Amino acid sequence: MNIRINTPEGTRDRLFSECLERRQVQDALVELFRRRGCTEVITPEVEYYDLFVQSGNPIPQEAMLKIIDRSGRIMVMRPDCTAPIARVAATKLKHLPLPQRLYYQQTVFRSERAHQGGSSEIAQCGVEMIGAVGDKADLEMVAMAVDALRGCGLKQFHIELGHAGFYRALAGRMNMGPEELERLRAAIEGKNYALLNDLLEPYRGEEACAALRRLPYLFGGVEVLDEAQALAGPCGSLDHLRRLYGELSAAGYGDCVRFDLGLVHQLDYYTGLVFRGYAAGAGAPVLSGGRYDGLMEQFGRRAEAIGFAVDVDAVGACLSVETPRLETVIHYGPGLLAQALAVVDGRPAGSCELSPCRTVDSTLNLAREKGAARVLVLDSEGERWLTV
Amino acid sequence: MSERLRIALTKGRLQDKAVELFEAAGLDCAPVRNPGRRLIHALPNYPLDAVLAKAPDVITYVEHGVCDLGIVGKDTILEKGGAFYEVLDLGFGRCRFALAVKKGGDFYGTYKTRRIASKYPNVTRAFFEGKGMDVDIIKIEGSVELAPILDLADGIVDIVETGATLKENGLEPIEDVAQVSARLIVNTASMKLYKNEITDFLTRIERELEGRA
Repeated sequence: MNIRINTPEGTRDRLFSECLERRQVQDALVELFRRRGCTEVITPEVEYYDLFVQSGNPIPQEAMLKIIDRSGRIMVMRPDCTAPIARVAATKLKHLPLPQRLYYQQTVFRSERAHQGGSSEIAQCGVEMIGAVGDKADLEMVAMAVDALRGCGLKQFHIELGHAGFYRALAGRMNMGPEELERLRAAIEGKNYALLNDLLEPYRGEEACAALRRLPYLFGGVEVLDEAQALAGPCGSLDHLRRLYGELSAAGYGDCVRFDLGLVHQLDYYTGLVFRGYAAGAGAPVLSGGRYDGLMEQFGRRAEAIGFAVDVDAVGACLSVETPRLETVIHYGPGLLAQALAVVDGRPAGSCELSPCRTVDSTLNLAREKGAARVLVLDSEGERWLTV
Repeated sequence: MSERLRIALTKGRLQDKAVELFEAAGLDCAPVRNPGRRLIHALPNYPLDAVLAKAPDVITYVEHGVCDLGIVGKDTILEKGGAFYEVLDLGFGRCRFALAVKKGGDFYGTYKTRRIASKYPNVTRAFFEGKGMDVDIIKIEGSVELAPILDLADGIVDIVETGATLKENGLEPIEDVAQVSARLIVNTASMKLYKNEITDFLTRIERELEGRA
């Protein structure tokens, strides 16, 4: 029989520094989430396919990894963490007082297009705040998003805010059919200026047209809110963003916050604030979140919800984490285990290890092979250092 | 802090047109014109590095963010898809995707499932799905015109420039599938992280394009 030695496409073995990167990011995030009063939930790796259809989060069917169980039901490897948590919160946690702050540290699975360099396993770490609505809840989440990326050790990053309500208000004023509106939305999401112009050309006369035409350009600092207001007139969602920005600035988060009013992805899912995090060195957003007040109701309980997830490995890849170097190998004699372990435990992790060899010579050879600089000999004569 | 941007240009005709456009916009492209053995070409008077790549690779590089910008045909974008911003229609490299069938044949006048040969199976699928029509799609790598001649397919979906090749082989375009031209695409994260640099570049190019129009 042939032994298969390769991992399936889209999966990988993570070794050494890649593990350290992942753990450093996870530890920083979990520490923050716990400090801010979030409690952990772990949901199954495998769930019923129907759950993710019910949630209204448009994950394409072909992107889910499916399994058929013994009774013939379709199950999927969890493609998203939010829907399972909404399921839990709507059912098992329904008697707990709201708001509930939940966090998770789980892998999501996506069937990526072949040979595109994408990963089928995405380590996510995120929070959901369930049952709280209004500025303060949004503020808490955005501040947590900034602190999350900062806490991971990123230097150059920002969180970008948008609002599903702004595009909705504008689109609602247009006399367009649903298919044309979807094309419009896609053109704005893709910042396809040329196509957007063509789509809007027949509607030149309509008052919302000028604002929609500018929408893909409305990203950057807080000044884009003023420009948006000048184009679209007073608007609740712009006021909302402005209030958030005022409070975030007062709390010292202003420098890390920007805006993109052209964030119009997954509009059937997001109901208010949407946000993303970008970091220098990552070619895609490393954090993504927003408010989905309609989600919980799909699972039978009315409650507002807002949350975000961090792509742990994408953040980790932006950090430079060094693997520790082995410096010392300890050769210890009979009855001296406790002393030897005390030395190992007193040194930085990974810089010191015990030798399993019987003779000092073999220990010296071992140290040479592993690239350690010194051998510490502990025996009946006391301790002595040998240079390799 | 000003970052140097990196752009991927589609090798060949689009590359020549892009270099012309850049030079007209005041960018010195001498290193791209005389590449030597270098693979990354730093423009001397503008913070931009250019790399040359095959069309689908331009999209790959931009999607992964190893290039901030790319110039690639709409045909490749339609076929390959991906997540990036498609910000400018550069106006050159114009041609069209068309459905072509054997001259005089009645493509739609049968209940038989039609078979279509194409280098662009995704474009073909989307086109016929839009019509609510089931077709068999056969991917052909080389001269697609051969497939209907050999009776392997009832029609082809392909890029048509003048239509001369089709005509010579007894085929005629009966329907446009999409208009194609070169596009400027931008990585989504770069757009946000290097907004000033990218806006400056886009403004220069747009100004030149407006001058042409």
